[in-house]
Amino acid sequence: MIDTLRSWVLPSGTIFGIGEAMTVAFAYFTVGVTVTILHVSEGTSWSAMLGVIFLVNSVTPGLAYVAVTDAGGSTTAGVLSGWLVSSRFGLFAAAIAPYLWPSRWKRALAAHGAFDPSVALGLREEAPIDKRRVYLAAAFWMVVPWWIGGVLGILIGSNVGDPGALGLDAIFPAVLLVIVWPQLQDRDSLTIALVALIAALALVEITPGGVPALAAACAALLALRPPMPVGDSTEDPEEEVG
Amino acid sequence: MLTWTVVLALAAGVYGQRAAGALFLKADKLPDAAKRVLDKLPLAIIAAVVALTTVTAGGKLVLDARLAGVAVAGFCAWRKLPMLVAVIAAAAATALVRVIA
Repeated sequence: MIDTLRSWVLPSGTIFGIGEAMTVAFAYFTVGVTVTILHVSEGTSWSAMLGVIFLVNSVTPGLAYVAVTDAGGSTTAGVLSGWLVSSRFGLFAAAIAPYLWPSRWKRALAAHGAFDPSVALGLREEAPIDKRRVYLAAAFWMVVPWWIGGVLGILIGSNVGDPGALGLDAIFPAVLLVIVWPQLQDRDSLTIALVALIAALALVEITPGGVPALAAACAALLALRPPMPVGDSTEDPEEEVG
Repeated sequence: MLTWTVVLALAAGVYGQRAAGALFLKADKLPDAAKRVLDKLPLAIIAAVVALTTVTAGGKLVLDARLAGVAVAGFCAWRKLPMLVAVIAAAAATALVRVIA
């Protein structure tokens, strides 16, 4: 029983090992605690927060929703930006799906664990069977610490007095910045991020709340440009987004 | 604030995308251009959300202590420090600037 569980969460003979498992677990535990404290101290009920933790099973949609509605955006605009932020999960699930089971039920269930690292770590393995084993193991090391961290965050967040005095309002952008940081290493991604940032700030005072974040999403269209040759120092055209 | 209605709407959208991807989408059949844009969509929105939650409040540009906290978080990310360190440092810097100001 224990051995079965062990081989399930830490498959042997794979590139994925306990070091990576711990790193991922720690990162998602931290995100679970901090993001939950943030939502709960802002007035989200503990039961709705459990819904975020178990049903939404992702951090960024809730954060995007709060950012948009706090800026005066409608509920619809908030939900829409939450969906757009999680659009990548569909692609991730599609990428790992051929290595899961033929059964549609099992595949649909396993799709709930499609996160950036679980799919990336799974696909990195050589053997198809290892891709599935590592995907499931990595999803375990992400989801369970995030659930535990989330429940802990609810307990802490319910007892926080003034979130501003503790600097908790800065945690919100800080967590997101740390999450996207690794993606900013290549030039095209950095350009897209900067264009989105500038577009959102340029629009914030002149458009209804919710519009800036959704309009900034158009910066992703810059990915249609041919890839920049490495070492090219010419300026990027930035007039595609207005 | 997240209400149950919002949570269910978000959950339906997020799980719907995951399940649809696993059941119906053939990743290798999707046009390359669509894949590239979808790949960068979250980054664009998150960058905008970071900017909006750092230097705006209630639909107006507002520079305050949050900027210091987020700058510290960026520094920590650049130094590849663990997320927990980055987050605590960001909150501490923000609280400190508020006390001083």
